[in-house]
Amino acid sequence: MNHLPENCVVHVVDDDAALRRALRFLLDSVGWNVRLYASAEEFLEALAPLETPSCLLLDIRMPAMSGLELQQVLSERGIALPILFLTGHADVSMVVQAMKSGAADFIEKPFRDQVLLDAVAAAIRRSAEMLAEAGRREVVRRRLQTLSPREGQVARRVALGEPNKVIAAALSISEKTVHIHRQHVMEKMGISSAAELARLMLLADAAALD
Amino acid sequence: MALGANLNAMAARVRACWRRTGRALFSPFLAALAIAAHADNPEGIAVGVFAFQGERAAISDWSPVIEHLNRELPGHRFHLRNFDADGLREAIAAQSVDLVITNPGYYVTLETLFGLSRIATLQSSHAARSGQALGSVVLARADRVELAKLRDLAGRRVAAVAPDAFGGYLIAAREMLREGVDPESAVRETRFLGLPMTHIIEAVRSGEVDAGIVRACLPEQMARDGLIRMDEFRVLSPRRVEGFDCALSSSLYPDWPIAVTRHLDPALAKSVARVLLSMPEGPGRASWSVPLDYQPVLDLYRDLRVGPYAYLRDITPEGLARRFWPWLLGLLALLAAWIVHTVRVEHLVHQRTRELNDSLAAREVAECRARDNQEKMEHLSRLSILGELSGRLAHEINQPLTSIATYANSLLRREAAGTLTPDALREACGEIANEAERASGVVRRIRHFARKRAAVREPVDLFSLAEEASRLMAGMLVSCPRIVIEWEGGSDRDVLCDGLQIQQVLLNLIKNAIDAARGLPDERQGVRVRLAQVDNRFVVQVVDRGAGLDPAQEERLFEPFFTTKPDGLGLGLPICKSIIEAHGGRLWAEANEDGIGMCFFFQLPCHESSA
Repeated sequence: MNHLPENCVVHVVDDDAALRRALRFLLDSVGWNVRLYASAEEFLEALAPLETPSCLLLDIRMPAMSGLELQQVLSERGIALPILFLTGHADVSMVVQAMKSGAADFIEKPFRDQVLLDAVAAAIRRSAEMLAEAGRREVVRRRLQTLSPREGQVARRVALGEPNKVIAAALSISEKTVHIHRQHVMEKMGISSAAELARLMLLADAAALD
Repeated sequence: MALGANLNAMAARVRACWRRTGRALFSPFLAALAIAAHADNPEGIAVGVFAFQGERAAISDWSPVIEHLNRELPGHRFHLRNFDADGLREAIAAQSVDLVITNPGYYVTLETLFGLSRIATLQSSHAARSGQALGSVVLARADRVELAKLRDLAGRRVAAVAPDAFGGYLIAAREMLREGVDPESAVRETRFLGLPMTHIIEAVRSGEVDAGIVRACLPEQMARDGLIRMDEFRVLSPRRVEGFDCALSSSLYPDWPIAVTRHLDPALAKSVARVLLSMPEGPGRASWSVPLDYQPVLDLYRDLRVGPYAYLRDITPEGLARRFWPWLLGLLALLAAWIVHTVRVEHLVHQRTRELNDSLAAREVAECRARDNQEKMEHLSRLSILGELSGRLAHEINQPLTSIATYANSLLRREAAGTLTPDALREACGEIANEAERASGVVRRIRHFARKRAAVREPVDLFSLAEEASRLMAGMLVSCPRIVIEWEGGSDRDVLCDGLQIQQVLLNLIKNAIDAARGLPDERQGVRVRLAQVDNRFVVQVVDRGAGLDPAQEERLFEPFFTTKPDGLGLGLPICKSIIEAHGGRLWAEANEDGIGMCFFFQLPCHESSA
């Protein structure tokens, strides 16, 4: 697939230049595509929509914007990027806050290289999964957008399991017309059952059937 | 004029002096004058008589005697003076009577009180052969057959003349006592009806009382006068005495005596006695015999504890209480005061003990709290030191260490994978060298910091420094043991140093010394700080009597992070050592010579003021 190491990006944000370079030297040796940033602000500036599996190695203590603040910003922007925190000494309250906010892992300095590499690999895998799901969701959304407004109405009711007769009465159309709309929806979405339709609609929008 | 006035004044003073002192000084003299005057006294010789039946009766009774005396002893003018019992006693005391005629009971009392001496005893016509004529008879109504003996009077009502009446009470009372009936407590009631005694007879006859006590021969006299019949009455415990013809319930006692007072001229007393004894007998006339023995009367008084023996009553508890009640009261008050005092002292002791315990407990609590606080403070400061160390220094050292480790591991990894290029090797090794340099830079900065502090050098009074350290220590610890500071050496106590740092060393050593003796008995507590000047160096010794150290511990004593305390950091002594060495001195430790406790020494060069 597309997550060969050279296709996966490991972003390193640390104010210590020597440590940044050391991390690149280590990650390079495994073949990851490494990008270095001296600060959180620099990282945010360079941030582009994610296309390949990526993860973020983030120093928790930095002058200016801290690691935790960056995590907050990314979360607000809806950017699904697994974060590995690097910390000089474990600060319990910081760890708790970071994990609550969805941190993938915590790595204490000085670290065993294998521990760091395993954590990075796991984060990349998770990133890849998230990307794949995001891709699927995008496909479904695009297909749903091809439905006419009436087809959309019918599709929602079908997904909720209503019989054609009920849908016809609710929409004040003939049962035959409902049947035709239903066939069009199934064709456009590339499926054959109401259950599948419901799954796709929920994938696109968790609140679609509320 | 002047002379005359002086004489007058002197005379007035003498007269005043006479008035003031005369009575006291000359009363015996005046008394003698008074006695002498009696012979020629226009009042003559006063014969005091106890007139128990009233003045008139007395005059009729005794006037033949007075007449006889005046006839036989002309020129003395004997005359009667009548008294009741108290009046007679007062008259004798005032020496206003010369002869006394009274009943045997009063006589023995007056004899003891005033030294009267009897010169004759009245001789009555009905007297027994012994001459004794006074007795009591106890009568009950003839129909009261249950009353036969005096002892039967227990629980009965008895009538008598008076508590001090001789024949009319006391004689019978003694007999009752002899028969085992206490006349004062065993009878139900004793009614004293007074004179005349006929009231008593009437009370018995009417049944008002169960029995009556009267002088013997009175019933016979009343019977002769037709007032009563003898068979109306029965005599209790009747007895017969030869020659005595009246009904009798008692022993007989001598009749009334006539006695002379002490101040009467003995010659006249003798004449009076002679005249009385020669007085002819006759119906209705008193005659006199030689004075009888009044010892039985005294015995009676002693048995009954009355008259001169009234004090015997005082030996009984209630008697003692009556006589000594003020003393008893005082004693009781003293006793009460003593008890109150004892109770109060006891109470105070309890209270003080409780207060002491409370304060000790409060102190214990305060000490505990202070200890807790101190432990918390120490813990917090340790944490904050650790925090500082790890947060800044440790972070600064951690960063290069992490980089170095990362490069090294990466090199190994690449070499194993066969991807290690010369460029990568060069890069990594360069970085490793740089990071190592960075880490040592951090260490260098720390040492530089320490060196900068040690740069302060000023003359400091070592003794004052030690005293201040001692004060600080006492202020920091709740129960600081005694810290003794001794100075042995010259007058110059100044040392060139950083006072704060040397004080820190002293505080550290003193604290260690106190800790070393923690939990040991009192005699092992206490720290001595000896300051001495040896040649051109000051030697400071901090001596404890604590637990000491084993050789292995002693060897590692100054190693950083070596500690014998459960919560010690192990930095105190290394820091002290480096401070002292930075001052050009030396710090070391030795066990005390007697093997108990340790001594820490440090020496510092003297301050050379001239240099």
